[in-house]
Amino acid sequence: MGAAVRGLESRGFLGPRVRILEREAYLGYLLLAPMLALLIVFLAYPFVFGIWLSLTNAQIGVNGHFIGLANYDFERGDTVFIQSFINTMSYTVVTTIFKLGLGLVMALLLNQVFPAQRFVRAALLLPWIIPSVLSTLAWRWMFDPTFSVINWVLVHWMHASGVDWLGKTGSALIALMVVNTWRGIPFYGISFLAGLQTIPVELYEAARVDGASRFNQFLHITMPMLRPILVVVLLLSTILTFGDFTLPYVLTNCAPYNSTCVLSTWAFQIGVNGGYIGIGAAISLVLFPLLSAIVAGVLIGLRRED
Amino acid sequence: MKGRKIVRASGWTPAWDRREFLKQAGLAAGSLALGPALLEACGGSSPSPTTSGSTAAIPKPRAGAKIQLLQWTSFVPAADEEIKRQAAEFSSANNVQVTIQTVSGDQLQPKTAAAVEANSGPDIIQMQYGWPHLYDSACMDVSDFVGALRSQLGTINAVNDAFCKVNGKYLAVPYCQVPNAWTYRTDLWQNAGLTDFFSTWDELAADGKQLKEKGQPPIAVSLGHAYGDAITMWYPVLWDFGGAEVSSDGKHVTINSKETTNALNWAINAWKNGYISQNTLSWLDPDNNQAYHSGLITATLNGASIYIREVYKTDTGHKYAAVSNNAAMPKGVKGLETLNLIFNHAIMKWTQEADTAKAFIAYLMQPENYTKWLNASVGYNGGPFQKLSSADIFNQDPKLKPFQQVIGTGKWPGWPAQPSKATAQSQVQFVIVDMFAKACTSGDAKSAIADAEQKLKRIYELPS
Repeated sequence: MGAAVRGLESRGFLGPRVRILEREAYLGYLLLAPMLALLIVFLAYPFVFGIWLSLTNAQIGVNGHFIGLANYDFERGDTVFIQSFINTMSYTVVTTIFKLGLGLVMALLLNQVFPAQRFVRAALLLPWIIPSVLSTLAWRWMFDPTFSVINWVLVHWMHASGVDWLGKTGSALIALMVVNTWRGIPFYGISFLAGLQTIPVELYEAARVDGASRFNQFLHITMPMLRPILVVVLLLSTILTFGDFTLPYVLTNCAPYNSTCVLSTWAFQIGVNGGYIGIGAAISLVLFPLLSAIVAGVLIGLRRED
Repeated sequence: MKGRKIVRASGWTPAWDRREFLKQAGLAAGSLALGPALLEACGGSSPSPTTSGSTAAIPKPRAGAKIQLLQWTSFVPAADEEIKRQAAEFSSANNVQVTIQTVSGDQLQPKTAAAVEANSGPDIIQMQYGWPHLYDSACMDVSDFVGALRSQLGTINAVNDAFCKVNGKYLAVPYCQVPNAWTYRTDLWQNAGLTDFFSTWDELAADGKQLKEKGQPPIAVSLGHAYGDAITMWYPVLWDFGGAEVSSDGKHVTINSKETTNALNWAINAWKNGYISQNTLSWLDPDNNQAYHSGLITATLNGASIYIREVYKTDTGHKYAAVSNNAAMPKGVKGLETLNLIFNHAIMKWTQEADTAKAFIAYLMQPENYTKWLNASVGYNGGPFQKLSSADIFNQDPKLKPFQQVIGTGKWPGWPAQPSKATAQSQVQFVIVDMFAKACTSGDAKSAIADAEQKLKRIYELPS
């Protein structure tokens, strides 16, 4: 306790409350409290409420009552739910692989010195910066069988026939993946670039002196040094892609015949538009155990590295 | 789980007696064909605060009240401008504040669902199709009010009535229909050597074939998840061939029938052979409008907005104005059924200003005001009451007659069963549209029916 505080205390200026704040343990909890309150209100409460809803027969505007796992059981027999589950998995896995690979390439290129470097770096962030709804609508126009610029090129320049990109089950799902990859690459690229710039140049110089090739430098210096960032980015991206709603909703809205539904859009269809919010909650929580396992695995892996 | 506190609106004090009503009606007779009661309730002279009878169900607005109406953004902007003008007029005459909030058509339901779940939001919500059945717990019982309007305005169209009435109570006030008819290019029609527009589904296929053979753009209708255009096309096709998704008591799924197979076989034939466009599987509601204005299709089923934009708006440069015409829905072997986009107004239980909300709706439904709105809509909207069905515009422009003819004739998704949560669920899941889409692309009617049957059985078995 400082001399000034002792002086104040001796004159009776410091009450018991101020003395409590001088204890680190109490002060720590106090400083933590606002953030904890925010997390409880905006994260924990909606999550727990969502779990509760999934265990009830609630409808929009009607509370419903506890029915156990009946909603989950009901959805097991739904062909669209199964299709949505498969679509969600493939959508996430495929796009994550492409975003990871192309993001890494983008970061390596941006890490080089070239003219208008800053402008290019800023420009490449655009897909991630502009609102998803707007960019997805633009893509919808590009994929439209009647107005598509892609089809125009195919027909007029390549003398091939146009494709109904969003009207066929396979190509519509691929279109979703293409747009998600396009939008996600900048996030990977800029994150990796930040990681690349923290790698000491001396490591590369030493490797060159030892005669290491560029590929070996990449394999034995770049990748290990990038690994912590890579794992975190991968984790975040996987979670966000699993729960992606805007893009599939705007681009295909489950058409043709629900073949491009993902869990988020199907949950919306049943829970919000259809009013069966209990079933909708169950659909959206189906991936929770899987995501929890992924997050736990990654966090444990990171802790071990530390 | 949070408790839900339903705030019921305060009841209103009945405003008139029969004598006062007759007196006011006589005064207003010079300017209005009917509806003096509506005018009175909405800011005319002051009635005595006494009474009984049906007119008593139309209350006066409370001075200083603020209410909000949530509705879609119409495909005809002038219609929205007119309703906003009337809201301002009503506000200033009654010292209240009415705000019209507009959102795109596909955002109206999520907004409505969020408000219902939160038990808070706009005082009046425009309900599409069977939403009063979906959100029955949040919609105020307005049976008396609707009864009062009906006594002034005549009978209610069956489809508005079916959507508004839930378990014998009116949970919404009939508001309008968006009649659907075919808009087509007469020049392309002639280029293909065609004269009359098709009046049966078989003729549609034959005309589509001729258009294709003559190298003209196709007939195109959405086979995607378009909440308006796809629904209004494929349900009538199913019905016109005698098919139905559920029995009239709403208990037995009846989609697996010879009639449904016939409907699907007609669609498969037309689609596979290119008699109708094959590029519409992902089309949403604006896509056929855009395709028509771009000159890429010959005919499409729509509200009057395509025709209006060509003929009455300047942004298209009236490119196809002279060669655009409209025609009624064709019929099938079992007859002619239509389905229109339907809107009704629900007054929400949470409102503190139920009287003002009712008075405002009554004001909108005054024949004088309603007709102004109909005329501003240029045939895009039709009235739900017998005495609101005509507008000058239908007489001024005979080409709009096909739209006027289907007002009041339409059915609803799930027909012949009455609208319910299950029929609404089937509609929002696009079960019938998807059945046609699947059949067209696979060419396999049997498997498309089996898939739809499985989905429908689950819907009609949903836990309630």
